[in-house]
Amino acid sequence: MLLKFTEQQLASLLPAYLRLDSSFCIKAIGPSVAEHLPNIRVGMRCTDVFDFIHTDIEQFFDNPQGVKPIRLVSHCGSTHLFGAAVFDKTGCILAVRHVLSEESMNNGTLYLNDFGYADPVVLSTMLISLQRAMLEESQATAIELAHERERSASLLERTGRVAGYMGHDFNNLLSIIRLNADRLLRKFGHDEKISNLAQIIRETAARGSNITQSLMKLSQQQTDTLLPIIIDDLIRENDTFLNSVVGSGISFDIDLQAGTCESVISYNGLLNCIINLLINAREAMPHGGRMSLSTSVAHGLATRKSDSGETEPSAYIAICVADSGSGMSEALLSRAFEPLFSSKPKGTGLGLASVRDFAKEMGGDVWLESQVGAGTTVHLHLPLANPSAEVQTPHKLGQSTVTPAIGTRHILLVEDEPYALEALAEMLEAEGYVVTPCASGEQAMHALEQQTYHLLLTDIVMPGKTGTEIAKQANRCQPSIKTILMSGYVPDSASLEPGWMFIRKPMDSDDLLRLVASAV
Amino acid sequence: MIHRAVRQMVFDELGEDAWLALEHKLGIGPNELLTGMVYDDALTIAIISEASARLNLSVDVCLFEFGRYWIKYAERGSLASIMNFTGQDLASFIENLDRLHLAVGAAMPGAVLPSFTTVSKTPGRLMVEYRSDRTGLEPFVLGLFDGLITRFGATGDVKIADRKANVIVFELQYQDGS
Ligand code: HEM
Repeated sequence: MLLKFTEQQLASLLPAYLRLDSSFCIKAIGPSVAEHLPNIRVGMRCTDVFDFIHTDIEQFFDNPQGVKPIRLVSHCGSTHLFGAAVFDKTGCILAVRHVLSEESMNNGTLYLNDFGYADPVVLSTMLISLQRAMLEESQATAIELAHERERSASLLERTGRVAGYMGHDFNNLLSIIRLNADRLLRKFGHDEKISNLAQIIRETAARGSNITQSLMKLSQQQTDTLLPIIIDDLIRENDTFLNSVVGSGISFDIDLQAGTCESVISYNGLLNCIINLLINAREAMPHGGRMSLSTSVAHGLATRKSDSGETEPSAYIAICVADSGSGMSEALLSRAFEPLFSSKPKGTGLGLASVRDFAKEMGGDVWLESQVGAGTTVHLHLPLANPSAEVQTPHKLGQSTVTPAIGTRHILLVEDEPYALEALAEMLEAEGYVVTPCASGEQAMHALEQQTYHLLLTDIVMPGKTGTEIAKQANRCQPSIKTILMSGYVPDSASLEPGWMFIRKPMDSDDLLRLVASAV
Repeated sequence: MIHRAVRQMVFDELGEDAWLALEHKLGIGPNELLTGMVYDDALTIAIISEASARLNLSVDVCLFEFGRYWIKYAERGSLASIMNFTGQDLASFIENLDRLHLAVGAAMPGAVLPSFTTVSKTPGRLMVEYRSDRTGLEPFVLGLFDGLITRFGATGDVKIADRKANVIVFELQYQDGS
């Protein structure tokens, strides 16, 4: 049928065709061949213009009914054709097309007109090229999207920071109001009218403080207070709740051996960690099993590796959560703390990562021991609040036991807000402490040279030397000094050293006095 | 793809802020520019008319300019090889537009594609029929042809010679540059 087509029909279907007689003489030339090889003429021998690749020229016309696959390359090398030769008694038609690549498409050597209307190769090559273009555009758009996201994240962070600063400053003001209201109450509390007014002021300050707290939560500032907490008590107090987290299908033992030892931590932070660990353990045992939560006091390195450099052996509180679940392979273990990594289909991958962040922030560490089939044990180590007093019984929070020996306790008080300084000094003195008030870091440095103190109570954010700088200096020159930091927001925990205590402003006078009493 | 081109045009003419303001006004973002998605015409029209207001052009003039711009846009980006391949001169390029859009249709299922037929071809003059399921795009097509004349280094004019039902006949008159 092809053989019966007119030259014009052939030209539009196969623009690169050639018609030959049985002695290889060219009888007709497709328009695309004529375009690419301007010297080709009807009457020339095809073999003088083209090499026939892998074809036996001698036997080329042997089967006048047949079809043979062929490839041709022009002697000048510029034109590559492939397809089939279709034979009849008079000769053959070379039903061939150009070899198309994206390169020849792009560099102007071949055009759409060089290919027939129904040529599927052209369509697919164009399709590939279009898809590549679309992919490139999509990638560009995706990168733009990512930048956009980054931009809004950094805007959010900046706004958050501003909110944090505002919250901090506002907290400072509230702190002054509150301390002075307490002062009023203490001095004139016997007068009912004044007592009522002072109560109103305190409550209003407390409401204001709630507002700043939510503002700071929004700005992702930590709002928890860091206090010396008896770990065993914390677990005991939440015993019922922890049991309900574990659920009924699992046998759960709690074994508390840390006595009254304290660690300076955030109460809710540790509770969240324990809950996270219990949930993980529970999920490792979908069909039930055994789980235990234990505490003990140990001596050694609180962190697993001494990668922090300055770690020295000391006493620490070890909290262990062990399960009899499926355990983890080495590969899983090595990734378990990665944020967003989860081996569970519905896991968020945030549980263990947040436990580790917490442990590091508190100056401790966490790691896993696991064997496939034999369960997993999580070790969470937290530094002791008062390693030297390990054997003594520290004061339990909530039992304000102010001993008469207080008069010999020296407190170095640093606060740049004069009203707050005055109120704090008065309050502490009223409790019998000897207070050296300083309105700046520089004054405090000077005071440190004059005598030794039992306690440094300092604001953090101040012009000039900050509270953490003062605390570092004080701890260096007076190693026995206890440290309590106060601030409208919780400082970057990396800047806090293990053993330092922290109380958030505006603070309750009683809470502060209790903390001071427990520290000295 | 189309939307990205409009954006590039607004970017080039008025700067990034103008486009951001436009995005804001229409409540769209980079998502609406993801290539390979077929959009509602209404959105495209909304973008074009917003862009025209900002470029201080009538919608028709804006469509014309966008037609011209599309040719430049397709020439310089990753579509360049397809544009080169489609034809080495104005007449064969226009003859091959349907084949080009055939491939576009395969790459973007759901796209509403035009059809162009050259009904008469004499030196310096082409009569081209444009068929489309859409209406109101004549200024765009005029701009496209105008852009193509420029692309092939020629100078000339495009006008609408005839309108029947859903067929519009465009007349291109041009002189080759060299
Ligand atoms: C690489 C080059 C090109 C690509 C990738 C392309 C792609 C497209 C796409 C995706 C659409 C419509 C999508 C939809 O409706 O959903 C379209 C429509 C259109 N294209 Fe192209 N095109 C190209 C070049 C051209 C050129 C050079 C012309 C010149 C005349 C042209 C004329 C048109 C017209 C007039 C429409 C409007 C459709 C209608 O009337 O409904 N295109 N094209």
